[in-house]
Amino acid sequence: MTHGEVELQLDAYVDGELAPGDARELETHLKACVECARLHEARVALSATIREQVPAFRAPDALRNRVRAALRNAAEAPIPRRLMPSVAARWLALAASLALVAVGSWRLGLSRAGADALAGQVLASHVRSLMPGHLTDVVSSDQHTVKPWFNGKLDFSPPVYDFAGRGFPLVGGRLDYLVGRPAAALVYGRRQHLINVFLWPAKQGPVGGPDVATRQGYHLLHWTTPDYAYWVVSDLGMTELHDFAQLVQQADSAASRPAAARGLP
Amino acid sequence: MVLPHLDAAYTLARYLTRNDHDAQDVVQDAYLRALKYFRGFRGAEGGDGRAWLLAIVRNTAYTWQRRHRADGLTTEFDEELHSDAVAEDHPGATLERDTARESLHRALDRLPPEFREVIVLRELEGMSYKEIGDVTGVPIGTVMSRLSRARRRLQEALCAGEEGQ
Repeated sequence: MTHGEVELQLDAYVDGELAPGDARELETHLKACVECARLHEARVALSATIREQVPAFRAPDALRNRVRAALRNAAEAPIPRRLMPSVAARWLALAASLALVAVGSWRLGLSRAGADALAGQVLASHVRSLMPGHLTDVVSSDQHTVKPWFNGKLDFSPPVYDFAGRGFPLVGGRLDYLVGRPAAALVYGRRQHLINVFLWPAKQGPVGGPDVATRQGYHLLHWTTPDYAYWVVSDLGMTELHDFAQLVQQADSAASRPAAARGLP
Repeated sequence: MVLPHLDAAYTLARYLTRNDHDAQDVVQDAYLRALKYFRGFRGAEGGDGRAWLLAIVRNTAYTWQRRHRADGLTTEFDEELHSDAVAEDHPGATLERDTARESLHRALDRLPPEFREVIVLRELEGMSYKEIGDVTGVPIGTVMSRLSRARRRLQEALCAGEEGQ
């Protein structure tokens, strides 16, 4: 191996990008060649120095606001028919604006506009969760894996069920941020469809909003138990989504009775 | 709901334009483009969209520089020519006061943008060579050699800085 070859491979080696065979060959050479070994050390040190001394920037708040405003304007501007002829394309643009633009107006309380915005935010979160890599933080069909995963991440322990026997297998869970507070998002499947269940303590966040809504081809169901405010979103048919909601409600009331009897929270 | 990858976008734009004002303009422009090309993102394979978005930021920055600046990113990049260029001279007086941190920053600023961006994407964003290739639109082999050459130049600059003290 020439020094030139070593130097070229060294960076890939330090970055863990060298093929295993080449890496072994390089390691053998590094053991034998003092000069190259020194170069290797220097590169490792350089990487550490860069990471330590070259800052990754945090986007200024002014920029954050600017971009949000610009996106909101762009989303509201009429879309040229020539470019976006179909309803589907219009939906895409809307979904994009929902997914990218933070719906910042969250202090609307329980007014109708507020409830409407809440539904919008729930839907936006659902759409975003369907983007690659966003669906789950914890992937498991086991409720006893998903439920404890939320420990220390939320100030409540969301009820997690597995309805695999009824055709709604648990897919996983993730943390979400809705209505100005952290919320649990549980993901269930139904054939090729995904269902997002959002919930937060009923006493600590807004409740209300339409019980049933259809927006941009998605169905939303909302209900409140004494403990939790629930939102369920999916592209699943309304009938099946109602079936699913019923399963959750039944499981909830079944779970709350013995717990209350035992004096558990 | 937040703007995804905004910090990463700003960081890349900041290092490519080398100033806050242009970086902000580039990022805003890039997010508007991202909104427009959103359909392409949904079709994109895997990942969380970071590489896709940073590629848009990068292209926006290059276009921006071509349009608004006479210098900077306008020079056609030549792998061989630029990679072996000697670091520019700097006055000895400045060198003496130069801390290691300053000379590192200065060396990074002086790298051709094609080198600067691979350093930022690798060291600050922790991207794989494949992801860096996706952002910069070059093959993995080119990512590898650019990173290697960029690091060699940074290392030389750091050594020069130490000797000057």
